[in-house]
Amino acid sequence: MSAVLVIEDDDRIRLSLVLALEDEGYAVSGAATAEEGLASQRSRPADTVLVDLMLPGIDGFECIRQLRRSDDVPIVVISARDDTSDIVAALEAGADDYLVKPVAVQELTARLRALRRRARTVGEDAVPALRFGDLEVLPEAGEVRLHGTPVPVTRTEFQLLCELAEHPGRVLSRQQLLQRVWQYDGGDERLVDVHIGRLRQKIEDASGAPRHLVTVRGLGYKLQR
Amino acid sequence: MRRAGLRVRVIAGFAAGALALSALMALVSYQITRRSLLAEREGTAVRAAYYDVSVVQSGIASAPAPDLSEVLRSLDTGESRRAVLQRDGTWYSSKADTGFRDAITTALQQRAAGGGAVVQRVRANGVPALVVALPLADGSVFYEVDSLQELQHTLGVLTLVLTLVALGTAAIGALLGWYATGYVLRPLTRVADAAEGIAAGRSDARLDPAGEPELARLSTSFNHMVNELSARNERDRRFAADVSHELRSPLQTLAAAVSVLDRRRDRMDERSATAAGLVSDEVTRFQGLVNDLLELARSDRPAERGPVDVAELARQVCRERRTSEDIVAVTGPAATWLVDRRRVGQLLGNLLDNAEAYGGGATAIRLSLDEQDRGTLEVDDQGPGVSPDDKPVIFDRFVRGRSAGARANGDGTGLGLALVARHAAAHGGTATVLDRPGGGARFRIELAGCRP
Repeated sequence: MSAVLVIEDDDRIRLSLVLALEDEGYAVSGAATAEEGLASQRSRPADTVLVDLMLPGIDGFECIRQLRRSDDVPIVVISARDDTSDIVAALEAGADDYLVKPVAVQELTARLRALRRRARTVGEDAVPALRFGDLEVLPEAGEVRLHGTPVPVTRTEFQLLCELAEHPGRVLSRQQLLQRVWQYDGGDERLVDVHIGRLRQKIEDASGAPRHLVTVRGLGYKLQR
Repeated sequence: MRRAGLRVRVIAGFAAGALALSALMALVSYQITRRSLLAEREGTAVRAAYYDVSVVQSGIASAPAPDLSEVLRSLDTGESRRAVLQRDGTWYSSKADTGFRDAITTALQQRAAGGGAVVQRVRANGVPALVVALPLADGSVFYEVDSLQELQHTLGVLTLVLTLVALGTAAIGALLGWYATGYVLRPLTRVADAAEGIAAGRSDARLDPAGEPELARLSTSFNHMVNELSARNERDRRFAADVSHELRSPLQTLAAAVSVLDRRRDRMDERSATAAGLVSDEVTRFQGLVNDLLELARSDRPAERGPVDVAELARQVCRERRTSEDIVAVTGPAATWLVDRRRVGQLLGNLLDNAEAYGGGATAIRLSLDEQDRGTLEVDDQGPGVSPDDKPVIFDRFVRGRSAGARANGDGTGLGLALVARHAAAHGGTATVLDRPGGGARFRIELAGCRP
């Protein structure tokens, strides 16, 4: 049974989400504050974390950053805020997906399944090491190396990199990446852009002038030597 | 139209004023010149007549029976003057033509016979002439008829010149009027430009109150009005957005709680299950309404354009609604447009939902890009079509088709087509509804600047 942690200060929303997700077969625990959620994740790590942005004390953005510091657990933001600045900031802090309230339970479980599927594929793929000059992608080991040194990436980032690495030099559109990595048919392209940005900070010597992970204007992204 | 009228009136006024003034000046100049030329001519004619009469008198005295015609012919009268002598009831003339003699009227003869010199203007042979009558000592009268044709010609030239000058002055007046109105109307043109800018959605359009001192009050009150308007708009928009926002959290609870209820519907008694079903449906509709309201509140933001494969987007929208992707047809080569992906996706989705609710489902989606970089999306259905009454209001908020209202079952938010129109407008485009040939409705959306 997959474990989900819900960090949400509104008691009614938290309770309803716990009930609904339990119905869907998840083992759900709730936390009313970021502090409580972080402690819970340290003692009993969940497989996925749902987090609200407006939290008392430590806010959602900081909560995501602290979770990311120690963990590559999939993080999904559920917020009433839908401004681009909030979405980008939450994704940059390390969230894997962003949902705007109200989210239908069906949609939420579809997202959770997509994240789980992504998490499981890591390590199962039998593709050998893919080399892009000083960058190495090892799908089997679930590892990325730059100059021979392992680079810590989240599961979503790793999946994104694998999709691009498996098609060396070929341009994949944002929509194709959304489909393959997030299982979105027509999702928010900012999701791809921010994740690409996060990846560049990890695998590029100068993220402002990327050598490996390049943007092809009007088309999408490609990975090259 | 009114501005042009004002301008035409001012120009006409300037021209008429200039014409009246210059015509008056011309008339006065003409009269003065004419009078002085005539006086001068009269003086000359009288002096010449006195000289000639002295020659005639000495001619008469030199011989006992002189040939008077010969004497008169000996006078140096030039082309313009004719000398005539009346002696004992007989007329003697320097030249054979009698026309000049006719100019010497009976009244003139009587006055001359009365003694003393007489000067009179007459018409001779159809041209103005001057007659100088000088009675001689022996009772005969010497007449000299002086043609004023040359003077008349001079005055004719003067009239022409003065008329041309008057007309030229009127034209200059009109030009001055045109320039002056242009100058005066320039601030008003700026006001008009600013008003048009605001109407076109540039809410930052303002007038510079320091620009024209005379128009400072207009500028200030105009700016004040615009500020008030945009503040009110902003308040309304923020209110709608805030309310919708606040509704999102309770809706999240409802959405999750309803799914728990839904799962247990078959375990409830019939009445509870029906009630739970109603709650579930309404929560879904409520969610749609809140999302559409929020979308509407920010729909006047500019479109975030990027290259989008609209054919693929249309197919994806069809997939989401479980409609066949085969209805998507692209005319022409390019299906990649420079548009706001999210908004065009929503636009297409709303049109498909509308076709589903009122037209029995969409039967065709056509995409084309023309030479003016305008992208056209058409969504057809084979329903009853849109009645002429509904056509002008169908893109307004909360308008649901009257003819099809009974079929719609109230599933929609009433905002779908309003959002379609707003999304089209955000792309500098339009949304229209037409009759599909063969029955049904055809929604046509035109988006500007779509070529990537």
